Amino acid sequence: MPGYKSIDRIRTVTASTFDRLVLKGEGPIVVEFMSYGCAHCGVLEPDLQQVAEMVEPTEKIFRVNIAVDQELAESYEIQGTPTLIMFLDGAVVGRDEGPTPDVSNILAVVKEPYAL
Amino acid sequence: MQIKDKSAPVLLFNDECGVCRSIANWVTKQAQAGSSATSIVVRPIGQDPDELRSLNQGLNIWEAYATIHLLMPDGSMKLGGEAVAEVLRNLPGTEWFASTFAISVFGIRPFQAALNLAYAILADVRPVFGCESCGTPSWWVRPIRGAVKWTRTVFGGSHRSSPSRHFTSLPVKGRSPLARPI
Repeated sequence: MPGYKSIDRIRTVTASTFDRLVLKGEGPIVVEFMSYGCAHCGVLEPDLQQVAEMVEPTEKIFRVNIAVDQELAESYEIQGTPTLIMFLDGAVVGRDEGPTPDVSNILAVVKEPYAL
Repeated sequence: MQIKDKSAPVLLFNDECGVCRSIANWVTKQAQAGSSATSIVVRPIGQDPDELRSLNQGLNIWEAYATIHLLMPDGSMKLGGEAVAEVLRNLPGTEWFASTFAISVFGIRPFQAALNLAYAILADVRPVFGCESCGTPSWWVRPIRGAVKWTRTVFGGSHRSSPSRHFTSLPVKGRSPLARPI
């Protein structure tokens, strides 16, 4: 079983906070569309937490629970979970569906859209 | 969700998994069938980690989805095969059967070990029986799953193929993971 830590470095955004925290957020922001019942999301979680720790405070990582916020999932045409969408100053600059659960891979995925 | 009967064990189940829902329904019916005071409260895990933690501080929502959890009235938790045994022990009608899991031979509980194995197998084959969110099946389940998927494709399936093996595709119709198959 993956080692889930008690400290949650990934903040959950909802339909009511998405606009303020993501679309009006400054700099690079990664949003993971997930659900807790998705086993692949569970496998990804410890690695994503580690990546969140590595990239903060330069980059923020949020999660959207699509089981709760289905309209957000619809508006970003989420086909499944986990899906990572990268935003820069509110605009979508990258997307990855089902990233391989590996810290170096996820780090590359969340960094790549912002590489100059 | 508040648990009304705090003297009864609480069985948490994955509401997004068809196999888990069927088992939970069976347990609920069995628990309501008898008049035993040691019935079981059955409830879905849900989507709120904080709410879940309010039931037991040591409860992690990811772990709850990964393995069956039974919350005991004394604050302890039983997982996997141990949880299944405790559920059967608390249901009227299976109590006698469940007593076999406590039989110990030279410090080993053979029936409990068999139950643990059976639970592990069931957990592995869940994806084959309609739990798309249950993850990548173990190597030994993959041929079975492949055959089932092929059959669904040939006879009219409703799922698109995943772009990645680490990806849970949502159904084409009703993409909400809460959408239930008819």
